[in-house]
Amino acid sequence: MNKAKRVAGVVLSSVLTISLLLTGCSDSGGGPEAQGGKNGQKEPVTLKFSFWGDTIEKKTVTEALERFEQETGIQVEPMHVPADYLTKMTTMVAGNVAPDLGYLSSGAALSWGRDGKLLNLTPFMENDPDFKKEDYLDQIWYEIEPGNIIAMSTAVEGYGLMYNKDLLLEAGVELPPTDANKAWDWDTFVEYAKKLTLDDQGRNALDPNFNPDKIRQFGLQYDPYNMMAAVVSNGGNFLTEDGTGFGLARPEAIEAIQKLADLMYVHHVSPTPLQTKNMPDTALQTKKVAMTVSGNWALQAFAEQDFNLGVGVLPKLKESNTLLDGAPTVIFKSTKHPEEAWLLYKYMTDPESVLPLIEGGLWMPLKKEWYTNPELINKWAAGNKAHPEGYTEAFMKQTIENGFRTPGFEVKNLDKINALVTPALDLVWTGKQKAEEALKGVEPKVLPLIEGYYGR
Amino acid sequence: MAGILFALPSILGLMLFVMLPMLASLLLSFTDYRIVNTPKFIGLANYIRLFDGTDPYFYNSLWVTLKYVILRVPLGLVFSFMAAFLLNMQFIRGKSVFRTIFYLPSIVPAVASSMIWLWLFSPDLGLFNSFLEALNLPTLNWLYSEQTVVPSIVLMSLWGMGSTIIIFLAGLQGVPRSLYEAATVDGAGALRKFQHITIPMMTPIIFFNLIMGSIGAFQVFTEALIMTQGGPNNASLFYNYYIYRQAFQFGEMGQASAIAWILFIIILLVTVIFFRTSKSWVFYESEV
Repeated sequence: MNKAKRVAGVVLSSVLTISLLLTGCSDSGGGPEAQGGKNGQKEPVTLKFSFWGDTIEKKTVTEALERFEQETGIQVEPMHVPADYLTKMTTMVAGNVAPDLGYLSSGAALSWGRDGKLLNLTPFMENDPDFKKEDYLDQIWYEIEPGNIIAMSTAVEGYGLMYNKDLLLEAGVELPPTDANKAWDWDTFVEYAKKLTLDDQGRNALDPNFNPDKIRQFGLQYDPYNMMAAVVSNGGNFLTEDGTGFGLARPEAIEAIQKLADLMYVHHVSPTPLQTKNMPDTALQTKKVAMTVSGNWALQAFAEQDFNLGVGVLPKLKESNTLLDGAPTVIFKSTKHPEEAWLLYKYMTDPESVLPLIEGGLWMPLKKEWYTNPELINKWAAGNKAHPEGYTEAFMKQTIENGFRTPGFEVKNLDKINALVTPALDLVWTGKQKAEEALKGVEPKVLPLIEGYYGR
Repeated sequence: MAGILFALPSILGLMLFVMLPMLASLLLSFTDYRIVNTPKFIGLANYIRLFDGTDPYFYNSLWVTLKYVILRVPLGLVFSFMAAFLLNMQFIRGKSVFRTIFYLPSIVPAVASSMIWLWLFSPDLGLFNSFLEALNLPTLNWLYSEQTVVPSIVLMSLWGMGSTIIIFLAGLQGVPRSLYEAATVDGAGALRKFQHITIPMMTPIIFFNLIMGSIGAFQVFTEALIMTQGGPNNASLFYNYYIYRQAFQFGEMGQASAIAWILFIIILLVTVIFFRTSKSWVFYESEV
């Protein structure tokens, strides 16, 4: 009897303690809003905006958010997440404390959008008299299905050739064309790359005595991450056109990927992934590499280095084209202030709001007018260090006219497919397997994961 | 009564932050839960898809982790025991300096030490390969080849064995001097003393470090996250990294919970087996 009472006492006190703890937590959570209500004033709206990026991006985005605050009176709390972004977002969403809006990786955005966790922007765009969808580029939308658009890309990123002009002039190599119609074909490209690849004795890769084990300067750095550029140039894509087949295992894609691997293991003009690990970020400036294939964002870092930067269109396999890349900014459905979130969303998509990032070379603008109106073009794409001569033709025009969207915009289940494809391609990039063997080998495992395209 | 009240903070902590989440993850492991949906009960489907091979990574990651455990646990024990033994020698000067040096890596955050080792392992500029080159030996690709990535991570983990060394050191100092003195009087040499006094007296400590080391080794994670991302070709897709990827990169919380529970059971079994065998080789002085 006595014992039972004691046990009951312990249970009771534990329950009390736990409930005190729990109410304590929830109280502090709801504090500010509750106070606002008591004073009978209009609740001050605070939006949480999450984003990633380096220190320059952090500064510019934070400043843009501050300007928005001053213009509208809506408070914005910037949340900069420099690493492990998706892990943090996943945890916050699972814990019901997601930000109101922010960047998101494309795979997560599309699958969360499909599950209804993100706001459909369509009604906001239709009901906002100040907003015209036609003002924005056609390629930047993340569309779950017709009528359900969950995001615009945060920015546009085109791909092209970037090079150290002095090295090309020294070697007597013709400068890469900026006009798509004059793009180098693959053989010309390889030949020039060989001329620009030097061993420790200064012999180039065309010399019969060239020593591929002691390379001092590589003609070209082609990060395998950018391989889709070669694939689309050869008429291939990640999935087949109807969205049912594994496009990378088709002959045109295999051929392109093999040609990239050959740059490392047959022609010896490009560093292997192992050698790339040791390449400094200043490879162009320090003459470790003469040319590189990269996205527009790389211009920001190159502009801060001291060398004679040049740009050109990518070499072509069959057609001259390029990739158009990006990553979405989304509004979470859990937001309590969708109207205000839309205002901020709209504000951040305006190139004027984030001009330093665009002018600095990190981003390309989202609005069509910034690609056609010479006055606006001069605000970013010309006359500064990040945008050298020829940029408007080689990057700006090429991206808009011949830019293929990267698979991240529209391929369903892409992250899980890539978890299989990346290890298979590792074998190609390390020279252990031919592209055909690796991609045909992984195809049976990939096929059950293929679900087609979003938005179709 | 009062005792229970005083212990309440830790009891509550255990209940709220260990038992409750464990229960939740056990329940979630029987559901289809992708964070953004409401969990849907699907029975054993999450487990079945692991064992029947639908999931292409499960057996691979088990194998990779097992390889790591088999290499790391014995090597770790031998290395840290030897280090502790040397640090306990009478004739070594400046012992406290050496003890500090051996312990130092344990206070370096895993992220920082991973960055250091990335440089050491670097195939072209790394210290290890320069060393091999200087000796005219063939160089290795360390973290970047399927064959050497797990041994490389084992090598790196030996560097951070400071706390195990400290435990061994404490154990060595606890061996009664009288036993050594008696053995000396009986004419036993250094080797005999080591074999018949040091080792038997140390078996409880070895046992403890074996259990803790195995549990720790099964949970190897940071190295894969920072240095290899499971590559090349999934050769370092450690079990815990695989759980992390499934949960936080693919958002498959239900599946990740099932995968985690399998690891829990494996570790439990291994520990039980060690305890069962311990009777035949672990010697407790107090039980004599």
